Amino acid sequence: MSVSLGSQTIETVANVTVSGQMLLCDPILSVRGLSKSFGPVTALKQVSLDVYPGEIRAVCGENGAGKSTLVNILAGIDRPDAGAICFDGKICTLPSSTEAQRLGIAMVAQELSVCPDLSVLDNIWLGSMDVPFLHRRKELRRRAYEALSLLGAEHIALDTRVGRLTIGERQLVEIARMLTRNARVFILDEPTATLSDSEIDRIFVALARIRREGRSIVYVTHRLAEVFRICDSVTVLRNGEMVGTSKTTDIDRKKLIEMMLGRPFVEMYPEHGYVAGETILQIENLSIPGAVSNFSARVTRGDIVYIAGQVGSGAEGVIRTVAGLVYNATGSVQVNGKALHLGSADEAFHHNISFVSGDRAEEGIFRTLSVTDNLVAARLRELSRFGILNPISLRSEAIRLAVRVGVDQQRLRSRADNLSGGNQQKLAFGRCLGATQAGVIVLIEPTRGIDIGARAEIYQLMRQFCSQGYGLLVASTDLEEVVGVGDVVITMYRSRQVGYYRGKEINMQHIIADITHPLH
Amino acid sequence: MASITTWLESIRQDKASMIQWAAAVGVVLFAVSTPGFLSATSIRSLLTTVSFIGCVAVGMTFITLSGNIMSFSIGASMSATTVVFMMSLTLGLTPALILAFLFCAALNGIQGWLIGFFRANPLIISMAAYALIIGGAIYITGGRGIYPLTDETEVLKANLGPVPGPLAAFLIAVIVGQCILSFTRFGRNIYLVGTNPRAAKAAGIEPWRTVMWAYVAAGLFTAVSAVLVAARYRSGDMEHGIGYEYRAISAVLVGGTAIQGGEGSVVRTLAGTFFIALMQGLLILRGFGIEMQYLLIGLIVLAVIMLQWKGRT
Repeated sequence: MSVSLGSQTIETVANVTVSGQMLLCDPILSVRGLSKSFGPVTALKQVSLDVYPGEIRAVCGENGAGKSTLVNILAGIDRPDAGAICFDGKICTLPSSTEAQRLGIAMVAQELSVCPDLSVLDNIWLGSMDVPFLHRRKELRRRAYEALSLLGAEHIALDTRVGRLTIGERQLVEIARMLTRNARVFILDEPTATLSDSEIDRIFVALARIRREGRSIVYVTHRLAEVFRICDSVTVLRNGEMVGTSKTTDIDRKKLIEMMLGRPFVEMYPEHGYVAGETILQIENLSIPGAVSNFSARVTRGDIVYIAGQVGSGAEGVIRTVAGLVYNATGSVQVNGKALHLGSADEAFHHNISFVSGDRAEEGIFRTLSVTDNLVAARLRELSRFGILNPISLRSEAIRLAVRVGVDQQRLRSRADNLSGGNQQKLAFGRCLGATQAGVIVLIEPTRGIDIGARAEIYQLMRQFCSQGYGLLVASTDLEEVVGVGDVVITMYRSRQVGYYRGKEINMQHIIADITHPLH
Repeated sequence: MASITTWLESIRQDKASMIQWAAAVGVVLFAVSTPGFLSATSIRSLLTTVSFIGCVAVGMTFITLSGNIMSFSIGASMSATTVVFMMSLTLGLTPALILAFLFCAALNGIQGWLIGFFRANPLIISMAAYALIIGGAIYITGGRGIYPLTDETEVLKANLGPVPGPLAAFLIAVIVGQCILSFTRFGRNIYLVGTNPRAAKAAGIEPWRTVMWAYVAAGLFTAVSAVLVAARYRSGDMEHGIGYEYRAISAVLVGGTAIQGGEGSVVRTLAGTFFIALMQGLLILRGFGIEMQYLLIGLIVLAVIMLQWKGRT
């Protein structure tokens, strides 16, 4: 099944261009039985996929479905545990991103990977193997300019330091970098998350041109509208497993969502609470320069308030501000009617605000310490007298918290990093409990990287906290969770607050519209 | 009996501690087979010299556990403390002791504050502090040692029954240090901050405060060593503490405290101190020169770092 170079290739391209059919030729990229685990977490299970020349293939799935792992393997960044990759009819191993580039695979990663201290020109040619030992400056400048103008970004001067550009412009520079690579398969991992609509339009023009040239694109996105607008076919992943591949003409939005979710809502989510207690947290006109402008919200006891938005929408900024971890925030935050002095984690802690980070390894748990140490970390003041810890009350408190969050008591002495992601998250939850009075818990992506079974437990826990009088404020990009768990949903788009939904008003379509292309 | 079985089983499971026990057994066999080692005088002198480094190493353990790798300036601050101690002896022994401890605690506490509050790189800060301390001390003393006219410090050379004074001080330092780490909120905070400062902050612990007090503690333990060394040589001199930072961090690492912080203990440092001292003493008795001692310590530290690194991935 090889596509040989020369006349046949050109012929194939012609076929694609003329008929729009993809099945007349062999796939440029084939993947069979790809599996990958990170420690105890299985990120990909037996995934197979064929990408044909001149095709734009969408890869969809929820957060944690394995999309990024898949494309990272295709770009030579991660190495699979099992499975075969076939490029242009030949089996290859992709041991490094250089090797992937040599074969003809170029990628725009999900996280920006530009060097802010280098010029636009240098960033575009960074890591390219086309650059000779002696810079042919004139030609490189011309090609870089061409790539930028293809994206309608001629206004970005080649000698500007990238650090001076906006986030959206940096993303354009990355895409321009990809375009200058003489690749046959382009991989884009959520390239539009930071872009405006007109920028997105121009990128789509560039992508359409790539398709016309008979080259292929693997396009990772969670914006379903883009799937139907630009992609020829879509592959859906769920929890690391392949759900299926379909032509976009054979499927509609509803069917696609079903494929992504794969199960009825009721199984997963606890009953809504609607306790409607007193106001516990009031945020007014909260602003963070460059991240959040004029955010206001109210959380009552017994409520789970979700702030939904894409990465970079500012939802995380709101949470971090309430947790006292943002130094340049302005506005007013009141807890139980008392004003909170912003910018001090200590102060937030004393106002009975607990924070559960989405980044467990970096900010959530103490990996090398025991389960006990993790559970009681925030309670040491109450468990000591004159600075001396009371080992008996420390132990009983740890047992109490372990029971409350459902961590096996036998494991109190084992190291936190021996626990699964879900159990680690329970430790972070347990740390929020135990204050004499129920307070506010603020969370970022509480189920990021947690498997389905444990997810349901985490949602149950959140609901339990509510019934005990806690008020929860959560930032999430996981829309299914937002709709399933939130009593109140506030949507954010590019640092602005867009919509407010309560109870029955909450619905997926409105939220997706709000966080991608708001009308107002 | 059951506890011994589980203990043996836990050793068998943990490769790193198996290597440590193997090394310990090897050293003991080596020691017993070395002629002259088991004589009372050689053991006494070994235990005395090791104790000066040991106190500094206890202090260094606090710095390493708090996630700040090591301090290059701890030897220099020990030397400077001997100078301050000897200079202030004219005020009497007790005021001189208080001054010496305050001085050393402040010297390290300031570094800890800079590192914790401004999240400065601990190695760079301690290197700058090293130069500043040496420069400042030589500026004040003119580079000469301080030799007091009184012999009040003789009392610090007393022995505790059969136990040499410095060894007693070292053992007390180990006990105090371990109790602080195990049984106080401050000690627990050091582990939390050392493991994950951002998570500690989210749990309501101010990392900079913990780091600063960890450095103050390190300064106090270093001061113990400083006054003992000053009393032993009856002088305050910037030469006294040369090389102490290196030997202290070697002891900490060989003991098995993790270089990235959050894992380890003072008792482990005690073991590391004795291990290195034993090896050195044995090499001397067997007639090897100073170069062999350096080579051996270098190899041991290297091996320990490699083992730790392997254990993490």
